[in-house]
Amino acid sequence: MPSLHELQARFAAALNDAKQTQPATRLFSGPRAMTLARLAIYRGNVHGNRANALAGAYPIARKIVGDEFFDAMAREYARGHRSRCGDLNEYGEYFPDFVAAFPHTADLPYLPDVVRMEWLAHRAYYAADPAPFDASALAGLPTERYGGLRPRLAGGCALLESAWPLGRIWTLHQDDYGGAFEIDLDAGPDRVLIHRPAWRVQVCSLAPGDFRFLESASCGATLDDAFEAAAAADADFDLSRALTRWIDARVIENLV
Amino acid sequence: MPALGAGIGLRAPHYADFAAAPQPTGWLEVHSENYFGAGGRDLQMLERVRRDYPVSLHGVGLGLGSAQGWDEGHLGKLVALVDRVQPALVSEHLSWNATAEDNLNDLLPLPRTREALALLASRVQRVQDRLRRRILVENVSAYLEFAEGDFGEGEFIAELVRRTGCGVLLDVNNLYVNQMNHGTDAVAVMLAVPTASVKEIHLAGHLRTEDGLIDTHGDRVVDAVWQLYRTALDRFGPVPTLIEWDTDIPPLPVLLGEAAKARALMEDRHAVAA
Repeated sequence: MPSLHELQARFAAALNDAKQTQPATRLFSGPRAMTLARLAIYRGNVHGNRANALAGAYPIARKIVGDEFFDAMAREYARGHRSRCGDLNEYGEYFPDFVAAFPHTADLPYLPDVVRMEWLAHRAYYAADPAPFDASALAGLPTERYGGLRPRLAGGCALLESAWPLGRIWTLHQDDYGGAFEIDLDAGPDRVLIHRPAWRVQVCSLAPGDFRFLESASCGATLDDAFEAAAAADADFDLSRALTRWIDARVIENLV
Repeated sequence: MPALGAGIGLRAPHYADFAAAPQPTGWLEVHSENYFGAGGRDLQMLERVRRDYPVSLHGVGLGLGSAQGWDEGHLGKLVALVDRVQPALVSEHLSWNATAEDNLNDLLPLPRTREALALLASRVQRVQDRLRRRILVENVSAYLEFAEGDFGEGEFIAELVRRTGCGVLLDVNNLYVNQMNHGTDAVAVMLAVPTASVKEIHLAGHLRTEDGLIDTHGDRVVDAVWQLYRTALDRFGPVPTLIEWDTDIPPLPVLLGEAAKARALMEDRHAVAA
């Protein structure tokens, strides 16, 4: 009997690759044909658990490519990306990089950005709940010094810029969407905010000024710097209106 | 009457049922890893039902028996969840899932060797130290039997209990699956497990294939497993019993019906014993 470490390494190799069963078969009792069939059951479970985890994180990509093709993608992803965590909710982290380099979906040029958006939405789903706006930093601070404060975004808020209409793609693929399935892929660049104001993740397209403002804030910029970035994209950007809007939307959690 | 009685797993398709009205279940069990996030709807539901029902946290990803790839960070998340939820029961599986290179994300069987027992004992001790409470360990289903081992299935569990003071989550369906897959005697396993150590029982359905029984948790409990459950109740008393259903999840009343059947058996056997 090999050491437990050696035994598990052989067992694992047989589960990751059907061609690696030989060193594992001698570990088990019973006829060899049965051992091979039972190893295949485990191999199916391992694949199924991982494929289910990916399908849970990337429901839109799965709808776009179809169940069968998505399952094949999950198999390819597993070949190149080892699972590092006992929590399968973490498993799909590198799927966006995988899709960006996957030659068989090159005819779907928007797919890499769709899966980037979906991973950010997956993170937002499990992020900390947004806290009510905390105005304590403003107390006693002269208004001329507000510009030095840094807006802090709620957990899970993320910003993504794309050449493809991500906001529209998100909306069309929601289970409760009842409108026409129409999309103009040449509508021009889209800039989306991914966030979770309550329990459901939202993806909304932003005007360039709002996008630059929140993007700067998400990188730790001061209000002054975030305003500069927003005004460069939109000369009419209104800072006080933006602050009110994003505080009300539970995107800006506090100013520090 | 037993303190918890019969319970069911809380699964996302039934959140709306629990949000709408109280449901006739003695307690609820969830997979710990599904609540490792910092916030969101799942945690909110868990904290909501926790106000009305005792909750059990059942881990599927810690991999107590992995010789390599033990993840102290995973244990840290479990500690935080236990602190937050204050569950009635905490359980893990007698299985392994990781190598130094990767995680297989499944409940893989362990050889019943002295080496595996020593590793499990140290890991169970580590978890109990971090949680500052006793945990329950569950016997898993297996599709393969190792060629060599030093203990029978029941003796292996009994020795782990003796060394760590942990409790046992006896999965009666898993005993049946193993009996059918490689001829281990389910009743003999039960007879070897110390009576006072069993603090929870799992019942579930499985899938019958030409290559053996697969533990899918996707169907009703079969008659042979109900029969073994009667034997378990006679030996271990009316311990909290859970109906597990994880694939092809049916409407809530089907689950509650299975739990009611377990409750009736529990009350029946308890009355006979009393």
